[in-house]
Amino acid sequence: MKKVEDKNAIKVKNVTKAFKLFYDKPTTLKERLVFWNKKKSDEHVVLKGIDLEIKKGETVALIGTNGSGKSTLLKLMTKIIYPTQGKIITNGKLTSLLELGAGFHQDFTGRENIYFNAAIFGLTKKEIDARLDDIIEFSELGEFIDSPVRTYSSGMYMRLAFSVAINVEADILLIDEILAVGDQHFQDKCFAKLKELKDSDKTIIIVSHSLGAVKMLCNRAIWLFNGEVQLDGKTEDVIDEYLKVCG
Amino acid sequence: MKNFFVELYNYRELLKTNVKKEIRGKYKGSFLGVLWSFVNPLLMTLIYAIVFPFLLRNTTPHYTTYLIIGVLPWNWFTTVISQGTSTFLANAGIIKKVYFPREILPISVVTSGLINFLISCIIIAIFLICSGIGFSQYILFLPIILIAQYIISLAAIFVTSAVNVYIRDAEYIINFLIQMLFYATPILYTLDMFPVRFQKYLLLNPLVTIINGYRDIFYYQTMPNLKLLFTIIGSGIILLYICYKIFKKLEKGFAEEL
Repeated sequence: MKKVEDKNAIKVKNVTKAFKLFYDKPTTLKERLVFWNKKKSDEHVVLKGIDLEIKKGETVALIGTNGSGKSTLLKLMTKIIYPTQGKIITNGKLTSLLELGAGFHQDFTGRENIYFNAAIFGLTKKEIDARLDDIIEFSELGEFIDSPVRTYSSGMYMRLAFSVAINVEADILLIDEILAVGDQHFQDKCFAKLKELKDSDKTIIIVSHSLGAVKMLCNRAIWLFNGEVQLDGKTEDVIDEYLKVCG
Repeated sequence: MKNFFVELYNYRELLKTNVKKEIRGKYKGSFLGVLWSFVNPLLMTLIYAIVFPFLLRNTTPHYTTYLIIGVLPWNWFTTVISQGTSTFLANAGIIKKVYFPREILPISVVTSGLINFLISCIIIAIFLICSGIGFSQYILFLPIILIAQYIISLAAIFVTSAVNVYIRDAEYIINFLIQMLFYATPILYTLDMFPVRFQKYLLLNPLVTIINGYRDIFYYQTMPNLKLLFTIIGSGIILLYICYKIFKKLEKGFAEEL
Protein backbone atom coordinates (compact mmCIF):
# COMPACT_ATOMS: atom_id res chain seq x y z
CA MET A 1 0.00 0.00 0.00
CA LYS A 2 2.80 2.36 0.96
CA LYS A 3 4.50 1.78 -2.34
CA VAL A 4 1.49 2.73 -4.39
CA GLU A 5 1.18 5.90 -2.37
CA ASP A 6 4.79 6.83 -3.04
CA LYS A 7 4.41 6.74 -6.78
CA ASN A 8 2.06 9.67 -6.63
CA ALA A 9 3.53 13.11 -6.68
CA ILE A 10 0.18 14.72 -6.02
CA LYS A 11 -3.01 13.15 -4.85
CA VAL A 12 -6.20 15.17 -4.92
CA LYS A 13 -8.94 13.56 -2.88
CA ASN A 14 -12.49 14.70 -3.44
CA VAL A 15 -11.58 18.36 -3.31
CA THR A 16 -14.23 21.04 -3.30
CA LYS A 17 -13.40 24.70 -3.18
CA ALA A 18 -15.97 27.38 -2.67
CA PHE A 19 -15.21 31.07 -2.60
CA LYS A 20 -17.30 33.62 -0.87
CA LEU A 21 -18.51 36.23 -3.27
CA PHE A 22 -18.88 39.48 -1.42
CA TYR A 23 -21.24 42.12 -2.64
CA ASP A 24 -19.47 44.66 -0.56
CA LYS A 25 -16.81 43.07 1.48
CA PRO A 26 -16.59 44.37 5.03
CA THR A 27 -12.98 44.92 5.97
CA THR A 28 -13.41 47.25 8.89
CA LEU A 29 -14.98 46.65 12.22
CA LYS A 30 -17.53 49.37 11.67
CA GLU A 31 -18.75 47.76 8.48
CA ARG A 32 -18.92 44.41 10.19
CA LEU A 33 -20.94 45.79 13.05
CA VAL A 34 -23.24 48.05 11.08
CA PHE A 35 -24.00 45.58 8.33
CA TRP A 36 -23.93 42.44 10.41
CA ASN A 37 -27.41 41.40 9.35
CA LYS A 38 -26.98 42.17 5.69
CA LYS A 39 -26.63 39.20 3.43
CA LYS A 40 -23.05 39.71 2.53
CA SER A 41 -21.95 36.86 0.42
CA ASP A 42 -22.81 34.08 -1.91
CA GLU A 43 -21.00 30.82 -2.22
CA HIS A 44 -19.35 30.32 -5.51
CA VAL A 45 -18.25 26.76 -6.00
CA VAL A 46 -15.19 26.69 -8.21
CA LEU A 47 -14.18 23.06 -7.88
CA LYS A 48 -16.62 20.24 -7.28
CA GLY A 49 -15.32 17.01 -5.88
CA ILE A 50 -12.13 16.70 -7.89
CA ASP A 51 -10.28 13.40 -7.68
CA LEU A 52 -6.87 13.18 -9.29
CA GLU A 53 -3.71 11.22 -9.02
CA ILE A 54 -0.61 12.57 -10.64
CA LYS A 55 2.26 10.17 -10.76
CA LYS A 56 5.88 11.02 -10.31
CA GLY A 57 7.56 12.01 -13.55
CA GLU A 58 4.36 12.88 -15.35
CA THR A 59 3.99 16.09 -17.30
CA VAL A 60 0.38 17.12 -17.08
CA ALA A 61 -1.50 19.96 -18.69
CA LEU A 62 -4.60 21.47 -17.19
CA ILE A 63 -6.76 22.92 -19.92
CA GLY A 64 -10.16 24.49 -19.98
CA THR A 65 -11.94 27.74 -20.62
CA ASN A 66 -11.56 30.76 -18.37
CA GLY A 67 -13.19 30.24 -15.03
CA SER A 68 -13.10 26.49 -15.19
CA GLY A 69 -11.02 26.26 -12.03
CA LYS A 70 -7.58 25.47 -13.42
CA SER A 71 -5.71 28.17 -11.55
CA THR A 72 -7.65 27.50 -8.38
CA LEU A 73 -6.63 23.87 -8.52
CA LEU A 74 -3.03 24.90 -8.99
CA LYS A 75 -3.20 27.29 -6.05
CA LEU A 76 -4.65 24.53 -3.90
CA MET A 77 -1.77 22.27 -4.84
CA THR A 78 0.76 24.89 -3.76
CA LYS A 79 -1.03 25.39 -0.44
CA ILE A 80 -1.61 29.08 -1.04
CA ILE A 81 -5.28 28.45 -0.48
CA TYR A 82 -6.91 25.50 1.23
CA PRO A 83 -9.79 23.31 0.08
CA THR A 84 -13.24 23.75 1.57
CA GLN A 85 -13.60 20.00 1.57
CA GLY A 86 -11.31 17.14 0.75
CA LYS A 87 -7.59 16.80 0.90
CA ILE A 88 -4.51 17.28 -1.21
CA ILE A 89 -1.39 15.30 -0.54
CA THR A 90 1.86 16.27 -2.18
CA ASN A 91 4.97 14.22 -2.16
CA GLY A 92 8.27 15.97 -2.71
CA LYS A 93 9.61 19.48 -2.94
CA LEU A 94 7.21 21.70 -4.78
CA THR A 95 7.79 24.94 -6.63
CA SER A 96 5.12 27.02 -8.21
CA LEU A 97 5.36 29.66 -10.86
CA LEU A 98 2.04 31.37 -10.52
CA GLU A 99 3.38 34.76 -11.22
CA LEU A 100 6.90 35.63 -12.17
CA GLY A 101 8.82 37.89 -9.89
CA ALA A 102 6.37 37.78 -7.03
CA GLY A 103 8.38 38.85 -4.05
CA PHE A 104 11.06 40.72 -5.90
CA HIS A 105 12.24 43.67 -3.91
CA GLN A 106 12.52 46.68 -6.18
CA ASP A 107 15.45 48.35 -4.47
CA PHE A 108 17.64 45.27 -4.33
CA THR A 109 19.92 44.23 -7.13
CA GLY A 110 19.21 41.32 -9.40
CA ARG A 111 21.76 39.23 -7.58
CA GLU A 112 20.25 39.95 -4.18
CA ASN A 113 16.83 39.18 -5.53
CA ILE A 114 18.04 35.82 -6.75
CA TYR A 115 18.94 34.99 -3.18
CA PHE A 116 15.70 36.31 -1.84
CA ASN A 117 13.51 34.68 -4.45
CA ALA A 118 15.25 31.33 -4.26
CA ALA A 119 14.96 31.48 -0.48
CA ILE A 120 11.21 31.85 -0.83
CA PHE A 121 11.28 28.59 -2.75
CA GLY A 122 13.00 27.04 0.25
CA LEU A 123 16.62 26.86 -0.86
CA THR A 124 19.52 27.29 1.51
CA LYS A 125 22.41 29.66 0.95
CA LYS A 126 24.66 26.83 -0.13
CA GLU A 127 22.20 25.55 -2.68
CA ILE A 128 21.70 29.02 -4.08
CA ASP A 129 25.45 29.62 -4.31
CA ALA A 130 25.77 26.44 -6.30
CA ARG A 131 23.10 27.53 -8.76
CA LEU A 132 23.92 31.23 -8.92
CA ASP A 133 26.05 31.08 -12.05
CA ASP A 134 23.50 28.95 -13.86
CA ILE A 135 20.73 31.34 -12.96
CA ILE A 136 22.64 34.43 -14.08
CA GLU A 137 23.73 32.78 -17.26
CA PHE A 138 20.25 31.55 -18.05
CA SER A 139 18.80 35.00 -17.51
CA GLU A 140 21.32 36.58 -19.93
CA LEU A 141 21.34 39.70 -17.84
CA GLY A 142 25.11 40.05 -17.85
CA GLU A 143 26.34 43.10 -16.01
CA PHE A 144 22.81 44.27 -15.20
CA ILE A 145 22.63 41.59 -12.54
CA ASP A 146 24.14 44.06 -10.08
CA SER A 147 21.70 46.88 -10.81
CA PRO A 148 18.54 47.38 -8.78
CA VAL A 149 15.60 45.48 -10.16
CA ARG A 150 13.52 48.65 -10.49
CA THR A 151 15.76 49.74 -13.35
CA TYR A 152 14.98 46.59 -15.34
CA SER A 153 12.76 46.47 -18.37
CA SER A 154 9.80 44.15 -18.01
CA GLY A 155 11.49 41.63 -20.26
CA MET A 156 14.62 41.56 -18.11
CA TYR A 157 12.47 41.27 -15.01
CA MET A 158 10.64 38.27 -16.38
CA ARG A 159 13.81 36.62 -17.57
CA LEU A 160 15.39 36.87 -14.16
CA ALA A 161 12.27 35.58 -12.42
CA PHE A 162 11.93 32.65 -14.75
CA SER A 163 15.60 31.78 -14.45
CA VAL A 164 15.35 31.58 -10.68
CA ALA A 165 12.23 29.49 -10.66
CA ILE A 166 13.34 27.06 -13.30
CA ASN A 167 16.68 26.46 -11.63
CA VAL A 168 15.27 25.65 -8.21
CA GLU A 169 15.13 21.99 -9.18
CA ALA A 170 12.04 21.04 -7.28
CA ASP A 171 10.50 17.59 -7.64
CA ILE A 172 7.17 19.08 -8.62
CA LEU A 173 6.86 22.19 -10.75
CA LEU A 174 3.56 24.01 -11.10
CA ILE A 175 3.34 26.55 -13.89
CA ASP A 176 0.49 28.91 -14.59
CA GLU A 177 0.38 30.34 -18.10
CA ILE A 178 3.80 31.84 -18.19
CA LEU A 179 5.35 30.09 -21.13
CA ALA A 180 5.31 33.34 -23.05
CA VAL A 181 8.32 34.98 -21.45
CA GLY A 182 10.62 37.29 -23.35
CA ASP A 183 11.51 37.16 -27.01
CA GLN A 184 11.44 34.12 -29.28
CA HIS A 185 14.98 33.20 -28.41
CA PHE A 186 14.31 33.16 -24.70
CA GLN A 187 11.01 31.34 -25.12
CA ASP A 188 12.76 28.59 -27.03
CA LYS A 189 15.31 28.36 -24.27
CA CYS A 190 12.64 28.06 -21.61
CA PHE A 191 10.90 25.44 -23.62
CA ALA A 192 14.09 23.46 -23.99
CA LYS A 193 14.70 23.73 -20.27
CA LEU A 194 11.22 22.47 -19.49
CA LYS A 195 11.78 19.54 -21.81
CA GLU A 196 15.00 18.80 -20.04
CA LEU A 197 13.24 18.85 -16.68
CA LYS A 198 10.52 16.62 -18.04
CA ASP A 199 13.07 14.06 -19.17
CA SER A 200 14.82 14.17 -15.80
CA ASP A 201 11.85 12.63 -14.03
CA LYS A 202 10.38 15.78 -12.55
CA THR A 203 6.66 16.14 -12.20
CA ILE A 204 5.35 19.15 -14.07
CA ILE A 205 1.85 20.55 -14.12
CA ILE A 206 1.10 23.30 -16.58
CA VAL A 207 -1.94 25.47 -16.91
CA SER A 208 -1.99 26.82 -20.40
CA HIS A 209 -4.07 28.02 -23.28
CA SER A 210 -1.34 27.55 -25.83
CA LEU A 211 -2.37 24.10 -26.93
CA GLY A 212 0.51 23.77 -29.33
CA ALA A 213 3.07 24.00 -26.59
CA VAL A 214 1.03 21.71 -24.39
CA LYS A 215 0.93 19.07 -27.10
CA MET A 216 4.69 19.07 -27.43
CA LEU A 217 5.41 19.04 -23.74
CA CYS A 218 2.82 17.00 -21.95
CA ASN A 219 1.91 13.36 -22.10
CA ARG A 220 -1.29 13.75 -20.18
CA ALA A 221 -3.95 16.42 -20.23
CA ILE A 222 -6.83 17.11 -17.90
CA TRP A 223 -9.73 19.11 -19.18
CA LEU A 224 -11.59 20.98 -16.51
CA PHE A 225 -15.07 22.23 -17.18
CA ASN A 226 -17.11 24.16 -14.63
CA GLY A 227 -15.06 22.82 -11.77
CA GLU A 228 -15.27 19.21 -12.79
CA VAL A 229 -12.96 16.91 -14.68
CA GLN A 230 -14.47 16.59 -18.12
CA LEU A 231 -11.81 14.41 -19.63
CA ASP A 232 -8.50 13.01 -18.49
CA GLY A 233 -6.18 11.16 -20.76
CA LYS A 234 -3.56 11.35 -23.50
CA THR A 235 -2.83 14.92 -24.51
CA GLU A 236 -3.80 14.57 -28.18
CA ASP A 237 -7.11 12.90 -27.42
CA VAL A 238 -8.09 15.40 -24.77
CA ILE A 239 -7.14 18.38 -26.89
CA ASP A 240 -9.07 17.00 -29.88
CA GLU A 241 -12.17 16.62 -27.78
CA TYR A 242 -11.64 20.00 -26.21
CA LEU A 243 -11.33 21.70 -29.58
CA LYS A 244 -14.50 20.02 -30.81
CA VAL A 245 -16.42 21.71 -28.02
CA CYS A 246 -14.57 24.95 -27.54
CA GLY A 247 -12.79 25.43 -30.84
CA MET B 1 4.57 21.03 16.28
CA LYS B 2 7.50 18.98 15.04
CA ASN B 3 6.46 20.05 11.60
CA PHE B 4 6.91 23.65 12.63
CA PHE B 5 10.58 23.20 13.42
CA VAL B 6 11.26 21.12 10.32
CA GLU B 7 9.67 23.75 8.08
CA LEU B 8 11.48 26.52 9.86
CA TYR B 9 14.76 24.71 9.39
CA ASN B 10 14.10 24.07 5.71
CA TYR B 11 13.29 27.70 5.15
CA ARG B 12 16.09 29.10 7.31
CA GLU B 13 17.58 30.94 4.35
CA LEU B 14 14.31 32.74 3.77
CA LEU B 15 14.21 33.72 7.42
CA LYS B 16 17.75 35.05 7.16
CA THR B 17 17.21 37.07 4.00
CA ASN B 18 13.94 38.36 5.36
CA VAL B 19 15.57 39.59 8.54
CA LYS B 20 18.24 41.27 6.45
CA LYS B 21 15.62 42.85 4.24
CA GLU B 22 13.70 43.99 7.29
CA ILE B 23 16.75 45.71 8.75
CA ARG B 24 18.24 47.11 5.58
CA GLY B 25 15.29 47.53 3.25
CA LYS B 26 13.29 49.68 5.61
CA TYR B 27 15.52 52.69 5.38
CA LYS B 28 16.84 52.12 1.90
CA GLY B 29 16.90 55.40 0.05
CA SER B 30 17.00 57.59 3.14
CA PHE B 31 20.13 59.56 3.81
CA LEU B 32 20.94 58.23 7.26
CA GLY B 33 19.79 54.70 6.42
CA VAL B 34 19.88 52.18 9.23
CA LEU B 35 21.08 54.90 11.60
CA TRP B 36 17.48 56.07 11.81
CA SER B 37 16.61 53.15 14.00
CA PHE B 38 18.98 54.63 16.59
CA VAL B 39 18.41 58.30 15.99
CA ASN B 40 14.69 57.86 16.56
CA PRO B 41 14.84 56.50 20.11
CA LEU B 42 17.60 58.96 20.92
CA LEU B 43 15.43 61.88 19.90
CA MET B 44 12.55 60.40 21.85
CA THR B 45 14.74 60.13 24.91
CA LEU B 46 15.88 63.69 24.44
CA ILE B 47 12.31 64.94 24.45
CA TYR B 48 11.40 62.99 27.58
CA ALA B 49 14.58 64.07 29.29
CA ILE B 50 13.74 67.72 28.68
CA VAL B 51 10.02 67.65 29.35
CA PHE B 52 9.55 65.10 32.06
CA PRO B 53 11.65 66.64 34.86
CA PHE B 54 9.42 69.73 34.58
CA LEU B 55 6.26 67.75 35.11
CA LEU B 56 7.22 65.56 37.99
CA ARG B 57 9.33 65.90 41.05
CA ASN B 58 12.23 63.92 39.77
CA THR B 59 14.76 62.42 42.09
CA THR B 60 16.16 59.76 39.81
CA PRO B 61 19.90 60.29 39.42
CA HIS B 62 21.31 60.02 35.87
CA TYR B 63 17.79 60.38 34.60
CA THR B 64 18.77 60.36 30.89
CA THR B 65 20.57 57.07 31.30
CA TYR B 66 17.63 55.72 33.25
CA LEU B 67 15.39 56.77 30.38
CA ILE B 68 17.42 55.36 27.54
CA ILE B 69 17.57 51.94 29.18
CA GLY B 70 13.77 51.92 29.20
CA VAL B 71 13.19 53.58 25.86
CA LEU B 72 15.35 51.30 23.72
CA PRO B 73 13.73 47.99 24.73
CA TRP B 74 10.35 49.68 24.53
CA ASN B 75 11.23 50.84 21.05
CA TRP B 76 12.00 47.24 20.09
CA PHE B 77 8.64 46.17 21.46
CA THR B 78 6.54 48.83 19.70
CA THR B 79 8.30 48.47 16.38
CA VAL B 80 7.71 44.75 16.50
CA ILE B 81 4.05 45.14 17.33
CA SER B 82 3.28 47.79 14.75
CA GLN B 83 5.38 46.25 11.99
CA GLY B 84 4.34 42.75 12.91
CA THR B 85 0.65 43.54 12.90
CA SER B 86 0.74 44.84 9.35
CA THR B 87 3.33 42.40 8.03
CA PHE B 88 0.90 40.27 6.04
CA LEU B 89 -0.72 43.29 4.45
CA ALA B 90 2.69 44.62 3.52
CA ASN B 91 3.63 41.29 1.96
CA ALA B 92 0.27 40.56 0.36
CA GLY B 93 1.98 40.20 -3.02
CA ILE B 94 4.00 37.15 -2.13
CA ILE B 95 1.38 35.63 0.15
CA LYS B 96 -0.99 35.37 -2.76
CA LYS B 97 1.53 33.99 -5.18
CA VAL B 98 4.01 31.77 -3.41
CA TYR B 99 3.81 29.18 -0.71
CA PHE B 100 6.21 29.45 2.20
CA PRO B 101 5.62 28.93 5.90
CA ARG B 102 3.74 32.10 6.80
CA GLU B 103 5.13 32.18 10.32
CA ILE B 104 8.46 33.20 8.79
CA LEU B 105 7.16 36.77 8.49
CA PRO B 106 6.26 37.45 12.13
CA ILE B 107 9.35 35.60 13.29
CA SER B 108 11.60 37.71 11.11
CA VAL B 109 9.99 40.90 12.40
CA VAL B 110 10.79 39.99 16.01
CA THR B 111 14.25 38.74 15.10
CA SER B 112 15.23 41.83 13.15
CA GLY B 113 13.96 43.86 16.10
CA LEU B 114 16.17 41.85 18.41
CA ILE B 115 19.23 42.45 16.25
CA ASN B 116 18.44 46.13 16.08
CA PHE B 117 18.16 46.24 19.83
CA LEU B 118 21.43 44.41 20.33
CA ILE B 119 23.15 46.98 18.13
CA SER B 120 21.49 49.81 20.00
CA CYS B 121 22.92 48.38 23.22
CA ILE B 122 26.00 50.30 22.12
CA ILE B 123 24.05 53.45 22.90
CA ILE B 124 23.25 52.10 26.35
CA ALA B 125 26.93 51.32 26.83
CA ILE B 126 27.91 54.85 25.84
CA PHE B 127 25.43 56.32 28.30
CA LEU B 128 26.61 54.00 31.06
CA ILE B 129 30.20 55.06 30.50
CA CYS B 130 29.49 58.77 30.16
CA SER B 131 27.33 58.91 33.28
CA GLY B 132 30.00 57.07 35.24
CA ILE B 133 27.73 54.17 36.14
CA GLY B 134 29.87 51.64 34.31
CA PHE B 135 29.24 47.92 33.97
CA SER B 136 28.80 44.99 36.28
CA GLN B 137 28.77 41.22 35.98
CA TYR B 138 24.95 41.28 36.07
CA ILE B 139 25.00 42.08 32.36
CA LEU B 140 25.38 38.32 31.92
CA PHE B 141 21.67 38.00 32.70
CA LEU B 142 20.78 39.98 29.57
CA PRO B 143 19.96 36.88 27.46
CA ILE B 144 17.25 35.80 29.91
CA ILE B 145 15.52 39.16 29.62
CA LEU B 146 15.90 39.13 25.85
CA ILE B 147 14.31 35.69 25.64
CA ALA B 148 11.40 36.82 27.79
CA GLN B 149 10.76 39.83 25.59
CA TYR B 150 11.20 37.82 22.40
CA ILE B 151 8.63 35.24 23.43
CA ILE B 152 6.06 37.78 24.59
CA SER B 153 6.39 39.90 21.44
CA LEU B 154 6.20 36.92 19.12
CA ALA B 155 3.12 35.54 20.85
CA ALA B 156 1.46 38.93 20.58
CA ILE B 157 2.09 39.43 16.87
CA PHE B 158 1.15 35.88 15.94
CA VAL B 159 -2.37 36.87 16.90
CA THR B 160 -2.40 40.54 15.91
CA SER B 161 -0.89 39.94 12.47
CA ALA B 162 -3.40 37.22 11.67
CA VAL B 163 -6.40 39.11 13.00
CA ASN B 164 -5.37 42.22 11.08
CA VAL B 165 -5.79 40.35 7.81
CA TYR B 166 -9.46 39.84 8.56
CA ILE B 167 -10.26 43.02 10.44
CA ARG B 168 -8.15 45.94 9.29
CA ASP B 169 -9.11 48.00 12.32
CA ALA B 170 -6.91 45.83 14.47
CA GLU B 171 -3.91 47.91 13.47
CA TYR B 172 -5.41 51.13 14.83
CA ILE B 173 -6.83 49.60 17.96
CA ILE B 174 -3.49 48.03 18.73
CA ASN B 175 -1.59 51.24 18.15
CA PHE B 176 -3.82 52.89 20.71
CA LEU B 177 -3.36 50.05 23.19
CA ILE B 178 0.40 50.31 22.77
CA GLN B 179 0.27 53.97 23.66
CA MET B 180 -1.72 53.13 26.74
CA LEU B 181 0.72 50.42 27.65
CA PHE B 182 3.54 52.91 27.40
CA TYR B 183 2.17 54.82 30.36
CA ALA B 184 1.45 51.62 32.26
CA THR B 185 5.09 50.65 32.00
CA PRO B 186 7.76 52.36 34.10
CA ILE B 187 9.73 53.91 31.28
CA LEU B 188 9.44 57.56 32.21
CA TYR B 189 8.92 56.96 35.91
CA THR B 190 10.03 54.50 38.54
CA LEU B 191 7.71 51.86 39.86
CA ASP B 192 8.12 53.00 43.47
CA MET B 193 6.39 56.29 42.69
CA PHE B 194 3.24 54.21 43.11
CA PRO B 195 1.81 53.00 46.40
CA VAL B 196 2.79 49.42 47.10
CA ARG B 197 -0.74 48.07 46.72
CA PHE B 198 -0.87 49.39 43.12
CA GLN B 199 2.48 48.01 42.24
CA LYS B 200 1.34 44.42 42.21
CA TYR B 201 -1.35 45.22 39.66
CA LEU B 202 1.16 46.94 37.47
CA LEU B 203 3.32 43.83 37.67
CA LEU B 204 0.61 41.91 35.81
CA ASN B 205 2.00 43.65 32.75
CA PRO B 206 4.94 41.46 31.74
CA LEU B 207 6.71 44.45 30.23
CA VAL B 208 7.11 45.93 33.70
CA THR B 209 9.22 42.98 34.77
CA ILE B 210 11.13 43.03 31.51
CA ILE B 211 11.93 46.74 31.62
CA ASN B 212 12.79 46.45 35.31
CA GLY B 213 15.10 43.60 34.38
CA TYR B 214 17.04 45.79 31.96
CA ARG B 215 17.23 48.50 34.59
CA ASP B 216 18.46 46.05 37.20
CA ILE B 217 21.34 44.74 35.15
CA PHE B 218 22.38 48.00 33.52
CA TYR B 219 21.38 50.83 35.81
CA TYR B 220 21.00 49.52 39.37
CA GLN B 221 23.57 46.79 38.80
CA THR B 222 21.80 44.25 40.92
CA MET B 223 20.36 40.81 40.46
CA PRO B 224 17.28 40.97 38.20
CA ASN B 225 14.11 39.39 39.55
CA LEU B 226 14.75 35.94 38.13
CA LYS B 227 11.67 34.40 39.68
CA LEU B 228 9.41 36.81 37.83
CA LEU B 229 11.43 36.59 34.63
CA PHE B 230 11.25 32.81 34.53
CA THR B 231 7.53 32.97 35.29
CA ILE B 232 7.17 35.17 32.22
CA ILE B 233 9.26 32.84 30.09
CA GLY B 234 7.32 29.80 31.29
CA SER B 235 3.86 31.24 30.84
CA GLY B 236 5.12 32.97 27.69
CA ILE B 237 5.90 29.64 26.08
CA ILE B 238 2.41 28.36 26.83
CA LEU B 239 0.95 31.60 25.50
CA LEU B 240 3.16 31.36 22.42
CA TYR B 241 1.85 27.87 21.73
CA ILE B 242 -1.77 29.00 22.01
CA CYS B 243 -1.15 32.04 19.84
CA TYR B 244 0.61 29.89 17.27
CA LYS B 245 -2.40 27.57 17.12
CA ILE B 246 -4.71 30.53 16.57
CA PHE B 247 -2.35 31.78 13.89
CA LYS B 248 -2.39 28.40 12.14
CA LYS B 249 -6.18 28.43 12.10
CA LEU B 250 -6.43 31.92 10.64
CA GLU B 251 -3.53 31.49 8.24
CA LYS B 252 -5.50 29.29 5.86
CA GLY B 253 -7.61 32.16 4.67
CA PHE B 254 -4.84 34.70 4.16
CA ALA B 255 -4.53 34.44 0.39
CA GLU B 256 -8.27 34.85 -0.03
CA GLU B 257 -8.69 37.72 2.39
CA LEU B 258 -5.77 39.84 1.28
